[in-house]
Amino acid sequence: MKLSTYRTITGYAFMAPWLAALIFLIGYPFVASMYFSTCDYSPLKEPLFVGVDNYTELMQDTVFRQSMLVTIAFAVVAIPLGVLLALTLALFLNTRIRGVSFYRVIYYLPHLVPSVVVAILWMWMFNPQFGILNVVLAPFGKAAAYLLTPFALINPPVPGWLGLVAVIVIFAAWWKTRSLSQDYLRAGHERFKRASTVLAIVFVAAVLFALTTWLNPIDIRKIQSPGWLTDGNPFPSGLSFAPSWALWALIYMSMWGVGQMAIIYLAKLQDVPVELYEAADLDGANWWQKTWHITLPMISPVILFNVIMGIIGAFQVFTEPYIMTGGGPEDRTRFVAMFIYDQAFEYQRLGYASAVAWVLFLVIVGLTMLALRISRERVYYAGK
Amino acid sequence: MTSSDKPTRWYFALPIHGILLVGAVFFVLPLFWMIATSFKPLEQTLKVPENLTEAVIGTGWRTTIDGRVYEVTLERQIVPSDSEPDWIVRPLEQFSAGEMTHPFGPDTWHKYPIFNADELRRMDTQVTPEMKVLADKTNPFDERRGVMKLFSGREVRAELVTAIRPPADGQKLWLVREWKPSDTDTKEVGSTSGDVTRAWAVLPEAQIEKTIRAIPENYPAALKRINFVRSLFNTLFLCLLTVCGSVISSIIVAYGFAFIEFKGREILFIITLATMMIPFPVIIVPMYLLWRDIGWIGTFKPLWIGAWLGNAFFIFLLRQFFLGLPKDLLDAARIDGCSELELLWHVVIPLSKPAIAMVALFQFLGTWKDFMGPLIYLNNSSQFTLSLALQSFSSEHGGTPWHLLMAASTVFSLPLIILFFFTIKTFIRSVAMTGMKG
Repeated sequence: MKLSTYRTITGYAFMAPWLAALIFLIGYPFVASMYFSTCDYSPLKEPLFVGVDNYTELMQDTVFRQSMLVTIAFAVVAIPLGVLLALTLALFLNTRIRGVSFYRVIYYLPHLVPSVVVAILWMWMFNPQFGILNVVLAPFGKAAAYLLTPFALINPPVPGWLGLVAVIVIFAAWWKTRSLSQDYLRAGHERFKRASTVLAIVFVAAVLFALTTWLNPIDIRKIQSPGWLTDGNPFPSGLSFAPSWALWALIYMSMWGVGQMAIIYLAKLQDVPVELYEAADLDGANWWQKTWHITLPMISPVILFNVIMGIIGAFQVFTEPYIMTGGGPEDRTRFVAMFIYDQAFEYQRLGYASAVAWVLFLVIVGLTMLALRISRERVYYAGK
Repeated sequence: MTSSDKPTRWYFALPIHGILLVGAVFFVLPLFWMIATSFKPLEQTLKVPENLTEAVIGTGWRTTIDGRVYEVTLERQIVPSDSEPDWIVRPLEQFSAGEMTHPFGPDTWHKYPIFNADELRRMDTQVTPEMKVLADKTNPFDERRGVMKLFSGREVRAELVTAIRPPADGQKLWLVREWKPSDTDTKEVGSTSGDVTRAWAVLPEAQIEKTIRAIPENYPAALKRINFVRSLFNTLFLCLLTVCGSVISSIIVAYGFAFIEFKGREILFIITLATMMIPFPVIIVPMYLLWRDIGWIGTFKPLWIGAWLGNAFFIFLLRQFFLGLPKDLLDAARIDGCSELELLWHVVIPLSKPAIAMVALFQFLGTWKDFMGPLIYLNNSSQFTLSLALQSFSSEHGGTPWHLLMAASTVFSLPLIILFFFTIKTFIRSVAMTGMKG
């Protein structure tokens, strides 16, 4: 027998258990769910082929649309917020102060708590009557209310989404001229810098103006002691597609587990070669420049990895809404994973659930591609 | 941030400490609140803590009734008016406690399933002429005729002990009743009200002394509710099987990926990595049907068989670790005529203990915390794992006993936190390895 043949046989012998898993526990369900998605299928009947009926129904299902919206809103808010918080935390935990390892342990601890406990514990925290969170947050809520009251009082009749679009457009324009001005400055084009300054001022003004349309006096009252999981109204109430208070509560709760991500960033921060900082020190770079031009590029692959895992994770959120809200109020926390579970195991509509699962899968692939594409020029792989 | 070995100067360190401390408060608050609540009496989960001490430790009350010191609960405030006082009376005939306060007559309450056996027993308790009872607006006492009109409609003869009138100094009056540690297991505050055998009194606020009341009895009560021994056994059984399975299968497969060159290895490895991207909800329906067709729904098998076939993430981790082992050593062993299995057993495994420990730890945590798997595959409450038992306790009907839920939650989380402190090195290494994926 040839050596290569022998190797191949041994190789596949070692692979045997995993091949079985790939075929039976991953491959088969994956393909089967594609087939089931074209069937009308309940557990007691044989699957009946119905073509794309499930998908057309899906397009018109308002609960499904709501659950997609909830999931995406959660991802859009919770992922950037989580990355930002974890990065900041990691930068602080990377300092050489006394007792820093104590802080590291403290921030990591919540990650150890099982999700069922997290859900039950935070139900108790968020309890609007007797929970401790509103007691602790009350002074912060009051302060925020004082700051925001002037905006809520002006409140011109402009649709909230119009303000949001304006804010995004102006921000994009400012960001573009800002990066352009950095290039052109070297060539001596001072006017780009002026343009960027003007746009920055316009942006701040637009945000302030938009705030007046998004916030209502009702929001201001709520901000002092929100009903959390019991409140399905969007916040800020001027933006109908903004996360509801209940979803904000889940976002807040998910920030509790951010320590795990921070510790991963910390491990990466400690791998950044010291020479890079020393060279920057010689060039007279300040702390901010070092962070922006050395630290962030060096750990950008981990950030990208966390964003992608965050996207996949958002589409798997199940335990928390299942236990804490049961999808309510008014489906405002019915995440897609929970929608699938309900269709499959509560309503026994296995075909329809499979169709949702496939749409979900395609959305995840699409979003991951998007993240990879956007990041292509921004992520730095050392040594590649 | 700082890359030199010099410690940070104090004027930088101080604000950093400040920020980290404030953050730490918010991170520890939930855990703290969980443990604090788990030692509190039921009635304190139904009020906002008035001050910090009350948030930290449960408070109770103590007072002297008939010359004996009792731990008491403040059952309710009594607000008599001068024209309509309340009365403490001594009945001269025997009647059952349920007749006094309960809206249903003595013949009907047994038909109502809302009462548990204990409550029914209390309602059946006979009020005898030695006892004193509180006659209020619902059981008014007619001083002139010397009768008390019971809620059931019957009238019994009774003699007045004292009439309760508003205190001259404007103090609050409380109906207090003897408290017992076993009260922690009741569903609602005041469900001991029917217990006429306990000492009680109506006292002005000044005579009631506030005390600390931490109740360890919450723990046994909570553990009974989640059927602790059974659920723990189920959880540990699954943990054992999945940890063994994952470790053994992932080592074998990872060895194949790392050290044996065979056709299709690269593509297989890429497929392996790609499977990590498939969210569980996508394959859950066919997976459920697969196990159902085999007839394993309602058994533990779907929860652990998969682990014996390997896990993409663990295979990846171990392969990366194996590739870092000294290649010369392996080549030397091969030349000496070691078979692949001998090589795996005698060379690779002894060198990879840290990575294997990590896989075991990850799998243990995963199985211990898993909720969706048991939820879908188990349907008999005797098979419930801890997470499922806790969830079903939390969704029981009728009042949420937060103090017991928090006690059960503490017991469920504590092993992981203790494990963390014992295996902190493995944890640190695991974080470094997880980041490696980036």
